[in-house]
Amino acid sequence: MLAALVGRSLRRHLGLVAGLAVVLSAFQILLVLIARNLQREGLFSQLSALVPPVFLEAFGGSIIASFSGLSAFGFFHPVVVLTLCCGAIYLASELAGDVDEGLVDLIATRPVPRSLIVTRSAVVSGGVTAVIVALMFLTNRAALEWFAPAGSEAPRTSAMLWVAANLLAVVWCFGAAGLALAAHVRRRATAVGAIGLAAVVLYLLHFVAASWAPARPFALASPFHYYEGMRTLIGMHNPRPDIIALVAASLALLGCAYALYWRRDL
Amino acid sequence: MTADAIRAESLTKYYGAVVAVEGLDLAVMPGEVYGFLGPNGAGKTTTIRMLLDLVRPTRGRILVHGLDCRTSSLAVRSRIGYLPAEMPLYRELTGGGYLDFLGALQKTAVDPKWRRRLLARFDVSDTDLGRRLGDLSHGMKRKFGIVQALMGRASVIVLDEPTSGLDPLMIEAFAETVHELKAEGSTTIFLSSHVLSEVERLCDRVGIIRRGTLVRQTSIADLRQETPRRVRIFFEGPAPEPPPALAAALTRRGPRRWDLEWRGPLGHALDAMRGLGVADIEIEPFRLEEYVLGIYAEGSEPRH
Repeated sequence: MLAALVGRSLRRHLGLVAGLAVVLSAFQILLVLIARNLQREGLFSQLSALVPPVFLEAFGGSIIASFSGLSAFGFFHPVVVLTLCCGAIYLASELAGDVDEGLVDLIATRPVPRSLIVTRSAVVSGGVTAVIVALMFLTNRAALEWFAPAGSEAPRTSAMLWVAANLLAVVWCFGAAGLALAAHVRRRATAVGAIGLAAVVLYLLHFVAASWAPARPFALASPFHYYEGMRTLIGMHNPRPDIIALVAASLALLGCAYALYWRRDL
Repeated sequence: MTADAIRAESLTKYYGAVVAVEGLDLAVMPGEVYGFLGPNGAGKTTTIRMLLDLVRPTRGRILVHGLDCRTSSLAVRSRIGYLPAEMPLYRELTGGGYLDFLGALQKTAVDPKWRRRLLARFDVSDTDLGRRLGDLSHGMKRKFGIVQALMGRASVIVLDEPTSGLDPLMIEAFAETVHELKAEGSTTIFLSSHVLSEVERLCDRVGIIRRGTLVRQTSIADLRQETPRRVRIFFEGPAPEPPPALAAALTRRGPRRWDLEWRGPLGHALDAMRGLGVADIEIEPFRLEEYVLGIYAEGSEPRH
């Protein structure tokens, strides 16, 4: 039953999933090509001088203005991170979409446990984002293999793996929040809109907190606070506690989704 | 364990301050075709949704073959085939893919012979099976809806407005299928419809719900006996004085005609007319519609 539900859901979202995978993977190649050109022409020092300190601070320091930093930037670029988060939220919100479109009358009236319907959305949202991040990682490594100029310092594979895992944990956290809200509301747009907006606000909060001390205590509530990609990349940060915290929050939200969906009227 | 196929006991559902269903008690016997009637907003759909455990009762319970729809939800749903009033569709799926997907969610595999038979009966060709549901007409989508509800050979079939959008031939095919299932005796059909002629034709019993409460539950056969028949009697000459046996039933008396509302066997009325110079008699057949509309009208005053 789970295979049938997951298969149906994947086929419904095939366009979105393929689009995300292609665009985000292509972005990795583009960034490596840009980094190669800047490296060849020796423009990184000028770039470093051009970028305002607040942006450098928010993205992990001056390492961003180096071949290694820029070629890994596709894992913490705000558009990439927020796109992945919104993708995870949208896929997870299928729970509310089923109610919205009346499809729940076909699925939940058959001997399908309600928990299985939640599991389907969790598997699809979590699985698809994991595959996309894995594709981004593989594309990044392949692009570095093919396009990195001789003598340039590419990001280490193990560090990139941790960055990718940390990114995925952030994305899962928002996907789980989308799942929990979708387990309660009747409209998919409500779940996607509310959690998507929360993701943007929390990202901005995290960004502001990097340069404005009064915002820092509030930034602790933002999942983005637990993703220090650039510092992880240069080996100055151990991401394990952050990943554990994010996965724990995701599991707690997943538990909420099961409880809310179990008790609701469909 | 109760012997009833479906049994509601003090079933109640509130949506905040709104009463959807209040203290509903009903019983549907195994093998019966039961018509569940009521005006829009009466609580039919909410009752059906509680039966399917889509909606949880505020109070009371509803049982299918003795199993509580709430606490034994999976066991109950494995015994039910359901056709919703508004057909939800995966528009991008083909008809065949739709039936395959829903079949994969059944506990027991769908019998391919039975499925083919249903498809043939509802005139669904292989070409139709290969077409996307989003491209099909309303009637064709409805046919797929009926097939998916019946294909699992569930012991209880719940049908909400089953013939809406079907052409007369397909309505006939549907009636044929219901009669066939009824003849087999192992399937209970719980049918909600506003097409009262269809209910009268197919159902053994009806329950009428109004403002969330069951106001009548009776068999069609009893209704036929209890409901007065409208009889118009035309005379060859001026209408005579009615004999005592007919006087109580007289509702209108014209110069050459009587209108009667007659309860019970018509033979007694015919006996009483002997020798009165009757030229013609018109007898209106029993119509469930009139009876039901009467009940709907009783409760049509605004709520306080």
